[in-house]
Amino acid sequence: MFESLSDPIDVIGAFLEGRIQPLRFRWQGRVVRVRKVTGQWSRREGQAVLRYFAVESATGESYELCYDPRGPSWILARAWTGPSGGSDRA
Amino acid sequence: MMILLVDMDAFFASVEQAHHPHLRGKPVIVCGDPGRRGVVTAASYEARPFGVHAGMRLQEARRLCPQAEYVEGDPAKYVGLSLQLLDLYTRYTPDVEPFSVDEAFVGLGPEVRTLEQAAVIGREIQREIDRRFGLGASIGIGPNKLVAKMASGVEKPRGLTALDPEGFREVFWPRDIQTMWGVGPKLAERMRSLGIKTVGELARAPDHLLKAAFGIIGPQLRECAWGEDDTPLVPYHRGLDAKSMGHEVTLTEDCDDRASLEGTLLRLADQVARRMRGEGYVGRTVTLKLRDHRFVTVLRQRVLPDFTAEAERIYPVALALLHANWNGAAVRLLGVSVSQLARAADAPQRELFAGEDRSQRLREALDRVRDRLGEASVVPLGTLVHRRRLAHVPFGTLSSRALAPAKRDAGRNARPSPRARVRANRARDPGEVPP
Repeated sequence: MFESLSDPIDVIGAFLEGRIQPLRFRWQGRVVRVRKVTGQWSRREGQAVLRYFAVESATGESYELCYDPRGPSWILARAWTGPSGGSDRA
Repeated sequence: MMILLVDMDAFFASVEQAHHPHLRGKPVIVCGDPGRRGVVTAASYEARPFGVHAGMRLQEARRLCPQAEYVEGDPAKYVGLSLQLLDLYTRYTPDVEPFSVDEAFVGLGPEVRTLEQAAVIGREIQREIDRRFGLGASIGIGPNKLVAKMASGVEKPRGLTALDPEGFREVFWPRDIQTMWGVGPKLAERMRSLGIKTVGELARAPDHLLKAAFGIIGPQLRECAWGEDDTPLVPYHRGLDAKSMGHEVTLTEDCDDRASLEGTLLRLADQVARRMRGEGYVGRTVTLKLRDHRFVTVLRQRVLPDFTAEAERIYPVALALLHANWNGAAVRLLGVSVSQLARAADAPQRELFAGEDRSQRLREALDRVRDRLGEASVVPLGTLVHRRRLAHVPFGTLSSRALAPAKRDAGRNARPSPRARVRANRARDPGEVPP
């Protein structure tokens, strides 16, 4: 299942063709290398435009990162934490 | 003009599969918070053979398809992608009319004269959507919006169906009357009671019968059965005046707590008023939507003496409607909308009473704060009380920071655990959609 988070993270990124792309980030003491950016979208919060990135790690995990230009800062917004196991829920 | 209707296949679920490769090929169900009860927002094609469909209770979906991945939906993500898709269509033509978050009409120029030419462009759009977003779309093509819309449902997913009027009759006349665009279950039932069971039978039904049964829309329905439709395509850059604006929310749990319901209502009235002011509208009719735990829905409305876009005037009316129509049963969904809209600049101005100009200036100042810092920067106090009760923060990061001390005060954790933080920081309310 996905866990919604709001964890500040350190990100190494690159500006490619005028756009920022996350390359690796540190979360819970480990470095996660981004293999592929699988999706991008944005959300407006007041005057700020928050940029979101769905990424797949080199080890096949899924994450959603958010770049907030007001800091500027990066947030880990969502992380895949394993199968949801639907049957044990209400 | 040739018109395409581009319909994204299982849009929300497909977006999650495109963004998260481990979900591909698996049944995926998009919903509100999967840890709570709610309804299915979208089901991937892999989940559909199990009988899961949008609108189904989550509990039922879990029974039918326990192995599915249950993913919390993210409306901001889907809206963001929908806007990117509209951008893509406008590279082909400026005549693009969004029909919903996952559908858009695309009008092709006069140089495209045949279905075959339109189909070539349709295929190109499908390839481009796949290449850029990893998503599938089904496309219907026809000489008008009705034919394009109905054709888009003929072959799914990733289908392309181009029909002229003759092709329309060939495909749809043998089909059940409910396949007609705009014919819902109740209308279909009435038609069946008149012996009209297929689209073809509607096309051949006598005028007097349709007029007697359905009034002036009777003959129009028959025209539709012939594939005729003169509804213009309205490109979104030209815009259409809105007829109503509203917000509704499926509560995270059935709720019979008066203060929580009133707090939710205040939040909804505040959101509607903000949106109206933002888009330059005022309105006169306030409607309350109330759905209880048995799915019984009540819609009640009241007309104001004059136009407004102020939560301070919308909320008391919605509240009075709640008090008059709520029987104490646990509530599942609440909604507030305002209709009979007019452009603020055109609406008759009410004379301000003493002190009201001060309120207006305050409201304008608060709007400027929210425009700059986001909706969470200033919220009505009554909604904070309600959010504390629900431990639920629908407005984003600033309000979650504002609530953090309250959670600590409640003695749950001196330092919130990561999981508690997840709940406190939950920035979205995925059950909440504009109606």
